Amino acid sequence: MFYITLLSLLTVLVAALFLTPLRQKMWVAFASVVAAAIAIAIPAIGVLAGGSEMELMRISSPIFGEESLTMDSLSALFSLVIGIAGVSTLLYSRGYLAHYLDKKSSAHISLHYTALVVLVISMMLVVISSGGFSFLLAWELMTIASFILILFDAERQQVLRAALAYLIMMHIGFVLLVAGFASIFAATGSANFADLAICFSSGKTLPIFILFLLGFGMKAGLFPMHVWLPEAHPAAPSHVSAIMSGVMIKTGVYGVMRTLWYVVESSELHTIGIIILAVGVITGLWGVILAAVQNDAKRLLAYSSIENVGVIFIGLGIATLGQAAGNYMVATIALCGALLHTVNHSMFKSLLFFGAGNIYSQMHTTLLDRFGGVAKHMPMTAILFFIATIAICALPPLNGFIGEFLIYLGMLDSIRDGVNTIYAAGGMLALALIGGIVVLAFTKLYSTIFLGSPRDHHVAESVEVDNFRIAAMAIPTVGIILIGMFPQFAIRLVESVAKQFFPAATSTVIDMYIAPNLWKISLTAWLLVIIILLLYILKSRAQRTRIIEQGPTWGCGFTSPNIRMQYTGESYSEGLESIATSLTQNTVEGRTVGKSEIFPSSHRYAVRHKDKIDRLFAAWWVELLHIINKRIMSLRTGKINHYILFALLFLVAIFILSLFNWI
Amino acid sequence: MAIVLNTILIIVTALAIPGVINRTRALLAGRKGLPFTQHLRNVNVLLRKGAVYSTTTTALFRIAPAIYLGAAIVATLMIPVADLYPLISFEGDVICFAYTLALARMAIILAAMDTGSSFEGMGAAREALYGALIEPALMIGFATLALFCGYTSFADIFEHEQSFDLHLTIVMLLTAFLFVKITFVESGRVPVDDPRTHLELTMIHEVMCLDYSGIDMGMIHIAGWLKTACFSMIAANAVTATCCFHWWCAVPLAILLTGVSVGVVESTQARNKLVRNTTFIVTISALAALIFFIGYLLKLNINI
Repeated sequence: MFYITLLSLLTVLVAALFLTPLRQKMWVAFASVVAAAIAIAIPAIGVLAGGSEMELMRISSPIFGEESLTMDSLSALFSLVIGIAGVSTLLYSRGYLAHYLDKKSSAHISLHYTALVVLVISMMLVVISSGGFSFLLAWELMTIASFILILFDAERQQVLRAALAYLIMMHIGFVLLVAGFASIFAATGSANFADLAICFSSGKTLPIFILFLLGFGMKAGLFPMHVWLPEAHPAAPSHVSAIMSGVMIKTGVYGVMRTLWYVVESSELHTIGIIILAVGVITGLWGVILAAVQNDAKRLLAYSSIENVGVIFIGLGIATLGQAAGNYMVATIALCGALLHTVNHSMFKSLLFFGAGNIYSQMHTTLLDRFGGVAKHMPMTAILFFIATIAICALPPLNGFIGEFLIYLGMLDSIRDGVNTIYAAGGMLALALIGGIVVLAFTKLYSTIFLGSPRDHHVAESVEVDNFRIAAMAIPTVGIILIGMFPQFAIRLVESVAKQFFPAATSTVIDMYIAPNLWKISLTAWLLVIIILLLYILKSRAQRTRIIEQGPTWGCGFTSPNIRMQYTGESYSEGLESIATSLTQNTVEGRTVGKSEIFPSSHRYAVRHKDKIDRLFAAWWVELLHIINKRIMSLRTGKINHYILFALLFLVAIFILSLFNWI
Repeated sequence: MAIVLNTILIIVTALAIPGVINRTRALLAGRKGLPFTQHLRNVNVLLRKGAVYSTTTTALFRIAPAIYLGAAIVATLMIPVADLYPLISFEGDVICFAYTLALARMAIILAAMDTGSSFEGMGAAREALYGALIEPALMIGFATLALFCGYTSFADIFEHEQSFDLHLTIVMLLTAFLFVKITFVESGRVPVDDPRTHLELTMIHEVMCLDYSGIDMGMIHIAGWLKTACFSMIAANAVTATCCFHWWCAVPLAILLTGVSVGVVESTQARNKLVRNTTFIVTISALAALIFFIGYLLKLNINI
């Protein structure tokens, strides 16, 4: 029944989208996503508000057995995130695709919108399917829809390559998931998520968990399976990157959370916690360092998504470790942090990708060193991007801080209570370093694009984008500010999810510990905003009666500074690069000015920092052969005395071996 | 009452430290030196001046000093003076403190980049890197306090530790040493940065504010004093917690600890080469991790 409904729905959708006139297609797609979002938001809000788990639809088929679509609080949280991001993405796509309407065929645009709607709906199905087969179906639908979306600009060779790499990697992940569900099926006779509990209690916890972690980690972008992300995001249109990075990779996080939920009672919990924490730390650090050295806005944002997934996993790891040690306070706090960070990241990352889309649609590039001073031409984009930048750097008073604060608090409490002290301290060290480098990465991104003088004459031609796009960006902005300024209410969003994990402890911990603290954070945030505004107003008033002059930037006595002397993105992160050279593989074109050149001639210098892990999936065996070959070739010295030595060694070896009767 | 006194005392500390630094330097160099309140007079003059803004800059440049000072003020309001009580205090305020200061740092970095000057870009890039590298030291420092004292808020950490336990004394003194070191980095002092250098190429903090004048510059100076006072007060609290935990003991200690140590270091040491700074700062983080580990062992009652 379910499969027939799904199929007929899809047919109607495709027919509607293909038949409507070119300029109305967006509104049809928008209406269907809004309808889907409302349809799923009603039960989701009901569940989050404290309602009990709800069965939306029963799926029974002769082959796959009894399955169902069920809305519990974890599904509810993720469906809300998907719904909101879906609506804002569709709204944004109108302006972004406007100038493609004349260039691409009508069928192409229809296909794009169909895939966009299917992506949103399939993500919703992913988070509410409780049965393995319907889950895998939705999962695969999601992969294919996103594959088509990445392919939008398929004329470009680079896009084609990125999309294919994405498809291949997702299917490796898919196979792992199929293997996971198959092993549940083999053990219990049905493949529902709920059967995981039986599976885990019967022994073999660790192998099955790792299978699921790898399968979901491929989607979430866990190290070292993250390599598709920085390729796919620059290739995809910006609104697609926004929904993929903001929400789709979170379905991987959802999967891991769902799996973790069934490991609750297991002796392996401690080991699993350590694995998750370690994966989170490595993913986070790797992501953030690579983000800081990138010179392409969308690539930088993609790596930052990897980093944020790492942060979420650090929170999850601390929660799991806390649970393993029986410290439910730490577990609840860290879990709330991880969940809230998931929600927060979906907001500010969509906003950042929308912003990147705005500047791309004006200047047709995302290379950082082509920009500069864009804020003067696109003030609204600049303001919204600034808000997202503060949020992603996890600085008060915005929402990014709240999620990371709870994760930190979980670790601090873990240290204070003396449980898992060393692990928590390790997590803290990593998170602090991540937090520091994020500021570096995003000040680089913001300042090279929006501040300073233009590095390219195209900047002067750019104009602010249409109001639909600004409206689409306003949706996540409102969420960012509200969660940041009123965290004491935002925590209620994740309360029922945490309750699902730790039924006994959650309410007490949130009411007695987290909420009062968040009240004070809220007051601090307001105080901060008020003091800043007050200082600014006082300053402006005082300056009204003074002489305020305008002049060129102070050049330190140098009389003819020019724009090319400005700091570029590359030079900004050079200090970090010199520390982190071992993580990247640099391809350099041209050369720098030598130290001995007294009168430097003109030079061209371009550097690209490639992820070293890329090689692992590209052709590592080829590399290996190369290396082995090189080693062997070093024996071929071309000196006759060496060759005689080799012959002698060979004879000695034969002699020794025969002496011991080995040949 | 305690809150008001606390706030006043930390402001007094902030205003006094630069004076002590100047006097110490003058004394060691055998000069007559600046009057004790010279820095206050300088800022007073700045606050009464007009301003020149670069045409390259945007509105962000004008609001950044307000963010910088505002964040520094809020961070200052979280610091207790020994047995007194700060205005803002909650579980985990140590994290909020570090991140509020990070907001200040970010504002000033963006403002520097807004001018489009290569010199200020240089300063901003260095500040961003050093700020990122010192963050772990700060957090692990707080983690050590949390581990040993069993609290996660400044006020509780220091208030509840007044016993004369040897282990506690060791950890507290080490932490105080760590925070003095962090003060050097965070307030841009020798050996990391030299506020008195005459060459823009070698500056870090000062070069970022080259385009500020008048009230903006005054605000940046005041924020710098407040930041220094926060860190030295944490260090002083850690020391007084082991012997004499009263505000009349902590305030002079905070002023002298930073004032004299910065003065002595600046009179006797040259600034690091810039490439050495990274090593210097990472060493502080390593030191923090080591102190944490020592604290952990002592907590487990393992004698070393």
